[in-house]
Amino acid sequence: MKKIINVRTLFLFAVMLMLALVVACSSDDGGNEDSGSDKSVNTAEGGNGEISGDLEIQYFVGGYGDSWWKEVIGDFKEKYPDVNVIEHAGPNINDEMRSRWVSNDPPDVVYIDGAGSSETQMVEDGQLMNLTDWVQDIELDNGDKLVDSFIVEPGKFDGEIYSLPLVFDTWGTWYDKAWFEEEGFKVPSDFDSFMSSMQEIKKEADIEPFVTSGQHPYYFLRGMLYPAFGAAGGDELLADLITGKEGAWTSDVVLETMKKVEKMQKEGMFDEGLGALNHTQSQMNFLLHENAFIPVGFWLPNEMANDIPDGLEFGFIPSPMQDKGEPFAIVPDLRPLAIAENAENPEAAKAFVEFAFTRDYAMSFSEHTGAIMNITGVDLTKNENVPSYLTEANAMINDPEQVQIYEKPHPMSADLETPIGNALMSLMLGNMSAEEFVQEAEKAAADYRK
Amino acid sequence: MGYRAFPLLHVPYRSFLKGKSDGMVQSKKQKYTFLAFCLIPTFIMFAIFTLYPLFSGLYYSFFDWSGSSQNKDFIGIDNYIKLFNDAIIPGTIIHDYFLVATKVIGIMVMALFIAVALTQLKIKEAPFYRIVFFFPNIMSVVVIGILWTFIYNPSLGLINSGLEFIGLESWARPWLGSETWALPSLVLPSIWAGIGLFMLMLMGGIANVSKSYYEAAEIDGANEWQQFWKVTLPLIWPQIKISVLYIVITTLNGSFIIVQVMTGGGPNNSTHVMGSYLYQQAFVQFNFGYGATIGVMILIFSLLTVLILQFFMRRDKVEY
Repeated sequence: MKKIINVRTLFLFAVMLMLALVVACSSDDGGNEDSGSDKSVNTAEGGNGEISGDLEIQYFVGGYGDSWWKEVIGDFKEKYPDVNVIEHAGPNINDEMRSRWVSNDPPDVVYIDGAGSSETQMVEDGQLMNLTDWVQDIELDNGDKLVDSFIVEPGKFDGEIYSLPLVFDTWGTWYDKAWFEEEGFKVPSDFDSFMSSMQEIKKEADIEPFVTSGQHPYYFLRGMLYPAFGAAGGDELLADLITGKEGAWTSDVVLETMKKVEKMQKEGMFDEGLGALNHTQSQMNFLLHENAFIPVGFWLPNEMANDIPDGLEFGFIPSPMQDKGEPFAIVPDLRPLAIAENAENPEAAKAFVEFAFTRDYAMSFSEHTGAIMNITGVDLTKNENVPSYLTEANAMINDPEQVQIYEKPHPMSADLETPIGNALMSLMLGNMSAEEFVQEAEKAAADYRK
Repeated sequence: MGYRAFPLLHVPYRSFLKGKSDGMVQSKKQKYTFLAFCLIPTFIMFAIFTLYPLFSGLYYSFFDWSGSSQNKDFIGIDNYIKLFNDAIIPGTIIHDYFLVATKVIGIMVMALFIAVALTQLKIKEAPFYRIVFFFPNIMSVVVIGILWTFIYNPSLGLINSGLEFIGLESWARPWLGSETWALPSLVLPSIWAGIGLFMLMLMGGIANVSKSYYEAAEIDGANEWQQFWKVTLPLIWPQIKISVLYIVITTLNGSFIIVQVMTGGGPNNSTHVMGSYLYQQAFVQFNFGYGATIGVMILIFSLLTVLILQFFMRRDKVEY
């Protein structure tokens, strides 16, 4: 009998011991990681300017794919063989790495893009290194200063730079060039011709011509409304709207723009079912000619590469929301590269950021992704590997007669964008008037300012 | 309540234990060791995975925290004040209880109907139907959600094409894309996904009802319908009660998934439930502290609902 008790007690102790071990191990892991990183910092510093140790890079993989990153990181490893590059990449990487940021153990370099990431939030939380002084010294291969070679300058928070815009993307309106030529549909050049083109398509092809993602109303906000606001009121209006300045959303120019959206709705231009579509479904609709126009960024062809029907030819115009006689407007959307404030290997991080910003990589970026890197003086026209919509769009963007570039101060905070997007969806479904929308938006801005 | 049967069991069970301890001499120490062996690991797990998250959720609800950094500011009950002034919150509560009510009624009626049919009507293919109806339960809710978004697709979907096929074009509409119809459209997949499990539970209950009651009822001249109301329903009340409670709890805590997959809370918040709004605040708008506050609200609502239901569904156990 006694023996049985002993066996039982032993078993109990074994279980307890295992539990204790599990708990101990998990805390041990954290400890190891910390000491390991301390070492890497030491080596980086101890090497007297020598770049070595672990370098952790977090990058989101979305519509642009990851082939460009693999190339750059591969080259970087060759140049700095002592650096051990650890990649954290994928479509959900922002969520996966969140616990690392929360526990103050961030990666060294971060490319801020995709769902679950917010540059504004990261700056407000003090997670990004202030690069204002350091960036002044960076030069490109031919001696040009990097700060003078950005297409769009880095976003500033209270005058300080916390990130360097790597990808120059812009939203615009896509159409199927081949289909339009075949059917004789007109490519719009301003809002009036946009409406008449859509009326024609509605009649001829018997479809609702315009689609966007209703689950993510910011596609319409950023893709159609930002350019419309830029064309109507310039940088100043954009800044006022994005920062939620009092009276900005109820101003006359905004109401006039929203009247255009109301007009599109009243004339039945919006896909009836768009309220429930996520971005892939809306893009699929577009590819299948269920609709003719869709506002998306440059990543559309790359993102849908596996689903493009034969014969479809991507055409891109800046969203035609401006009045007759005005140039098109675009509002660039920048995807920045930044260094963590608490990077464990800041020297290697700086070396990597400096390494990535070159004209050669800008060229290969366009080849790999079909988008543009935020550096001037890259001639895409002579490169056959760059898709034609990009060279055409690039030429258009560089012609101020045709296209005006407006800049927003920083991305809109999700706290303002979400309620505005909700009201916008209601307007687009015909459940709200333009007047009601601007009141709702003004209310959201008032809440945001609190 | 179903405790009346317990004393009956109690006496033989105790004498069985007594007999055992008489014969095998179970020391107190041995008993406690065994109890500790059973309870301590469970309690530790419970503490780590239930109590700790519960209290940390409560704790974070007093902070202004983005959920993605180390900085957090203690702001007292500000999040709760915000909760009471948030115009979207009442809608989310109403949507949640709309789903609770429609799901409870829909699932219970359908599951009961099918369970009675499969047990009482002596259908030869009963095992086949049992498997078919249970099938949705082994599918992930995410898969179900995606499947039904295709069914609801306004241009390619089964529902609109079906309506057109039978000549009811005017009934076709963009189900999930309409502020009016999106929420009711979520009810159908939720019911479809829920029937199987409760059908099995109720079938188990019905199978335990002795055939002699039905024979007696039949001799007394009761028709099938009366047999159902007077014999079946009272005798499977414990199963019904548990099923209802289970549907209520899983809906309040889990309707988030189907909303998130099918509509994301839109259009214009018309399908947001408490859980999906929590997710949006915590992980899309980076207001983790406020999200935790919504979590506390969900907990309170779930507890209150279950208590109230327990009270109203109280019924003496029927024995014939």
